[in-house]
Amino acid sequence: MKEGGLRTMKARSIILALVAVCLMAGTATAATLKIGSLSPLTGSYAADGNDIANGTRAAIAAIEKDGGIPGFDKIELFAEDDACDPRQAVAAANKLVNEKVVGVVGAYCSSATIPASEALAEADIPMLTPASTSEKVTERGLPYMFRVCGRDDDQSIAAMKFIKDVQKAKTIYIVDDKTTYSQGLADNVEKLAAKEGVKVIAHDHVNQGDKDFSAVLTKIKDAKPDVLYMSLQNSASGALMLIQAKRTGVTAAIIGQDAVYHPQLMEIAKDAAEGMYLTFGYIDETTPSYKKFQAAYEKFGKPGAYSAYAYDAAYSLLSAIKAAKSTDPAKIKAELVKTEMQGASKKIKFEANGESGSNYIIRVVKDGQFANFWDPQTGKKY
Amino acid sequence: MDYLFQQLINGLTLGGVYALVALGYTMVYGIISLINFAHGEIFAAGGYLGVILLSYMASQGLMDSHPWFGLAFALILAMGYCAMLAMAVEKVAYKPLRSSSRLSVLLSALGMSIFLQNGLMLTQGVYDKAYPTEFTHGGFEWLGVRVSFMQIGILAVTGLLLVLLNALVFKTRIGKAMRATSQDKVMSALVGIHSDKVISTTFAIGAALAAAAGIMVGLYYGSVRYDMGFVPGIKAFAAAVLGGIGNITGAMIGGLIIGMVEILAAAYIPHGGEYKDVFAFVILIGVLYFMPTGIMGENVDDTRV
Repeated sequence: MKEGGLRTMKARSIILALVAVCLMAGTATAATLKIGSLSPLTGSYAADGNDIANGTRAAIAAIEKDGGIPGFDKIELFAEDDACDPRQAVAAANKLVNEKVVGVVGAYCSSATIPASEALAEADIPMLTPASTSEKVTERGLPYMFRVCGRDDDQSIAAMKFIKDVQKAKTIYIVDDKTTYSQGLADNVEKLAAKEGVKVIAHDHVNQGDKDFSAVLTKIKDAKPDVLYMSLQNSASGALMLIQAKRTGVTAAIIGQDAVYHPQLMEIAKDAAEGMYLTFGYIDETTPSYKKFQAAYEKFGKPGAYSAYAYDAAYSLLSAIKAAKSTDPAKIKAELVKTEMQGASKKIKFEANGESGSNYIIRVVKDGQFANFWDPQTGKKY
Repeated sequence: MDYLFQQLINGLTLGGVYALVALGYTMVYGIISLINFAHGEIFAAGGYLGVILLSYMASQGLMDSHPWFGLAFALILAMGYCAMLAMAVEKVAYKPLRSSSRLSVLLSALGMSIFLQNGLMLTQGVYDKAYPTEFTHGGFEWLGVRVSFMQIGILAVTGLLLVLLNALVFKTRIGKAMRATSQDKVMSALVGIHSDKVISTTFAIGAALAAAAGIMVGLYYGSVRYDMGFVPGIKAFAAAVLGGIGNITGAMIGGLIIGMVEILAAAYIPHGGEYKDVFAFVILIGVLYFMPTGIMGENVDDTRV
């Protein structure tokens, strides 16, 4: 039989050490402000998802550089992966709820944002989406749901104006991939086309994540529309469709939407992307806020389409927490609604329903780069 | 009419790819009665190796001067690498379980599939990797049907590999050994056929074909991603079952049928494009229900010792 057991010096010092570690761990987390980000870090949308996580990190770095938030030693980001899958999004949102984050930047796919926001709403955690443009995001009456990007009814109006006024198209063929976002946009465009007198030859669907579009593109080639409205969830799929469209011999002008706005589109599609139009928010890169964002984002590489929006979402959230001097969601919301600032991506002013307005323009792929092409508000080309 | 021909060419191209991957499934099942779920990831690995090799060669300027030579070189290297990868997978995950129940080795295959897919994701990144496709452009019009050089290339390489495989299995000694082992493993060991070597060779050949399919898919569609092997793997398995599991000719025919059905359904059935994945699985269920031995009859070792 061993002598001593728990009464030996060795055992006691171990116990003391464990208690000390527990106490220290307790004190270490007391002054950390936790925020979360929810975006697809893996899967087809990983490029945009990581841009959103990095945009949030850049905003945290910028705020900490400006002195941080009084009452907190540091700001910690919990970046969760939703893989643009509704079920995983809910699981990841619940993880963030368990971590007791004060706010969440996310998600990317509207089909993930909507279920995740319900989970976060149950815990009254403010959610600011930098990229989900479906109207349904803010139309459910959730009190703490905010949106930093534009919304799809405005996006489809901008696209249809371009199709009618500039392209002067008489016929249109619409393809979407049945996701909440893509189909919502495609349905809007279909309704607007009927109103504007542009004939919708057909509205076809493919599956999210499909690689082979040869069948539907052969159909499109035969139908010879003036315009092909391509509504897909991400730039990788968009690139695949562009490559196959060129190969099949589709001559229609191809118009996409903000989901395919990513350098990955040109990387994969190369010259098949040349001449493609798409709608995206107007970002003024000459503002001091944009320059500040660029400096903070430098260590993450080149900013993607949504990096600036995610930066603005996180920056507004953290500024609101700072102004509210509290982590109470109602106080944060009060401050957010009072916010009026020039963000990196656009002017940030939240309405009571969480919207911050849309400013879509038409861009074009020229010489392997995105270039501003036409402003629907002024009707003028750039 | 040319719409139909165009869609038939699309279907043949896709079917050829499925056939190549289905062959790996069918040969392995014929010899050790295992559904090798990790096969789809070998297909993905081949695609990745192709993009790595081709991008390197493109950066050295080799793809500008001798594109087809560069492609052939990349194909052979990738096929060799994937053959060795599959042999390693067999030694590590399947050989130790050869005397265990079929369920154990099936679980091992599933685990290997998850392991390889995540390995690809961790080592190669989560983003799509673009293929250098500058030399694959162009095609020609023939009677109103537009055929691209890439499609011809895929059909040619697929056809060549299938012919070579047929020659190997039916006209060489190692082929005879493979057929004997798949007919009756115990007996063929008794007549002096080294079953371990034959099994490894089977894995290697199946993997080489899948690697070739991976590179061609990468070139044809323009990009690869770490999870690209999962759905084609399942569809190729359906194709192998459709043709008769264990039957090589059956796998080729099954692959072509599934590819054709997918494309023609998308072309002619309203909303067929949305449900084209469903067709492959409906066929699988139908075959298992009405004709479990497949079109050409199955070819497995069903002797009882």
